[in-house]
Amino acid sequence: MSTATKISEEALALEGAPVLVGRPDDRALTESLLAPVLGPTRRGWLLLLVALGGGVTFWLISLVTTVFVGIGVWGNNIPVAWAFDITNFVWWIGIGHAGTLISAILLLFQQRWRTSINRFAEAMTLFAVAMAGIYPIIHLGRPWLFWWLMPYPSTTQLWPNFKSALPWDVFAISTYATVSLLFWYLGLLPDLATLRDAAKDRTRRIVYGIMSFGWRGSARHWQHYRIGYLLLAGLSTPLVVSVHTIVSFDFAISQLPGWHTTIFPPYFVAGAIFSGFAMVVTLMIPARRLLGYQHVVTERHLDNMAKVMLATGLMVTYGYVMEHFIAWYSGNGYEAFAFLNRWEGHYRAIWFVQLVCNVLAPQLFWFPWARRNEVVLFVVAILINVGMWAERFTIIAVTLTRDFIPSSWANYAPTWVDWGLLFGSIATFGTLFLLFLRFLPAIPVFEVKELRRELDHAGHAGPGAAHAPGAGEASP
Amino acid sequence: MSAHVLGEFEREGALLEAARALRARGHAAVDLHSPYPLHGADEALGLSRSTVPLVALGAGVTGAATGYFIQWYMVAYAWPLNVGNRPPHSAPAFIPVTFELGVLFAALAIFFGLLLAYFKFPRVHHPVFEVEAFRSASIDALWLSAEVDAAQAEAVAAELRRLGARQVSIVAEGAR
Repeated sequence: MSTATKISEEALALEGAPVLVGRPDDRALTESLLAPVLGPTRRGWLLLLVALGGGVTFWLISLVTTVFVGIGVWGNNIPVAWAFDITNFVWWIGIGHAGTLISAILLLFQQRWRTSINRFAEAMTLFAVAMAGIYPIIHLGRPWLFWWLMPYPSTTQLWPNFKSALPWDVFAISTYATVSLLFWYLGLLPDLATLRDAAKDRTRRIVYGIMSFGWRGSARHWQHYRIGYLLLAGLSTPLVVSVHTIVSFDFAISQLPGWHTTIFPPYFVAGAIFSGFAMVVTLMIPARRLLGYQHVVTERHLDNMAKVMLATGLMVTYGYVMEHFIAWYSGNGYEAFAFLNRWEGHYRAIWFVQLVCNVLAPQLFWFPWARRNEVVLFVVAILINVGMWAERFTIIAVTLTRDFIPSSWANYAPTWVDWGLLFGSIATFGTLFLLFLRFLPAIPVFEVKELRRELDHAGHAGPGAAHAPGAGEASP
Repeated sequence: MSAHVLGEFEREGALLEAARALRARGHAAVDLHSPYPLHGADEALGLSRSTVPLVALGAGVTGAATGYFIQWYMVAYAWPLNVGNRPPHSAPAFIPVTFELGVLFAALAIFFGLLLAYFKFPRVHHPVFEVEAFRSASIDALWLSAEVDAAQAEAVAAELRRLGARQVSIVAEGAR
């Protein structure tokens, strides 16, 4: 742990604690950051891939069963028509939001520490949205007719009802998936060219050459590229807020006690960022060790992400408190019952898991040692992932089990297909992520070089500073 | 017959100075290549402001207008459906899709506009790639390229050496 101690000393010593350890020159930086892509396949990576393959198989079996037999194989019933499927959907979509937050919102706020983790987080967004998007489609029952959701001129002359939240959801999720993909690919473009140029073998040169479309680092292109990238970030920022707002409308504009509240949009967005940052930390802590990225993903990054988790955790806690307050203050018996049901009902264990994981666990992050300790961070991040899943289950399924008329009450229990779709999707997400780590640069190489240059200009020049600021640059 | 003259530079200052010098001598088709965006490159090459924001604005407004129009057409005009006696044309309910389509159109316009119109991609066989050493342009080196008349190529190459280029190459048209 000697390097870690040294790093944390450095972090404490400087006000602008290191977002980049040392000042490697550009070639060394390129080599170290591209090593996982251009180097030989590692045994650990292969073993992980094989291990996750089992989960992917489980997922595929569950999917095929759902499509061929029908959604009767799930535990869903009436009144619990939305259960694991929509819980998983909201959970995955929420996880995706941290990626956009890191890459877009922190870019607009000029937070330099985002540089080394943004590509990683964007990839997480894409894969999380891919996982999320599957649930509403298979929940249709006849998923091969999913295109009925889109407005198209049909022979029956029927159109979607745009006064319902569900068509909004279709547009929000498909826009979000598309924009996330474009933003991610645009950011990858210069790095794909670097891969093309750094690769020694013909196959990689050709494949990355085609993928980079012939990027040649031209100043005439960089000019438009920078502004285009910034604009996409600017568009993604309100988009990410709108997406989870619209997801929360699926519940908030209905009449059900426990769903029908105005706090849902901000509360869902905060929860999304909370769970998303937890997932970034969960993936980043092992990845930075396995891939040797400690010099670009430093304790400063972990520390900042822990602070974001603490802040959003407090917002989520505020949401819980306010929901209970309104349930009491409104004087609505049904509303009060819905919340009493969380504490004393059939599913109270899940409610307590939610409280421990989302409210208590992040309080550790008030202490600096906890924010810099990888083990604590990893464990708390996992707890938050679990807690946020429990929160979505409580909101969606538990609320549905007890509606207005006691004669329509029913409990819900998942089947093996439900579990398969949950755990299988986690394995599939992990598999996609492993493939991403092997075949694409997980750290934005060109942005780290730019960051290094900015740090040099800011007067933190270290021993490795090869390109000193030129004399011609100062003149207007 | 035109030719591309390529020069590799060590320092940003010398590179930008060389670009200014070549432009002052009447060579308009000068370009710089670097692994990361260079500060001051726009000014050194005399580039005017990027028009990408206007494209994004145009596309965004078109998308939002399209979004609102299709909803009005479908829900209020072509097939008005009475749900809970709400008015067929209820603007607040149309806002989410209007916003999403505005963002979607703007993002598509930025991405495909950049690649196809601004960068003229895909173009994997640009003359600058003929020089093997040019691979460093995306790794750790700064390059200047100038497209000049083949007759002038040698003179421009000498000029680049004088301006401090580490290495200079000439790619003649049809060299492939």
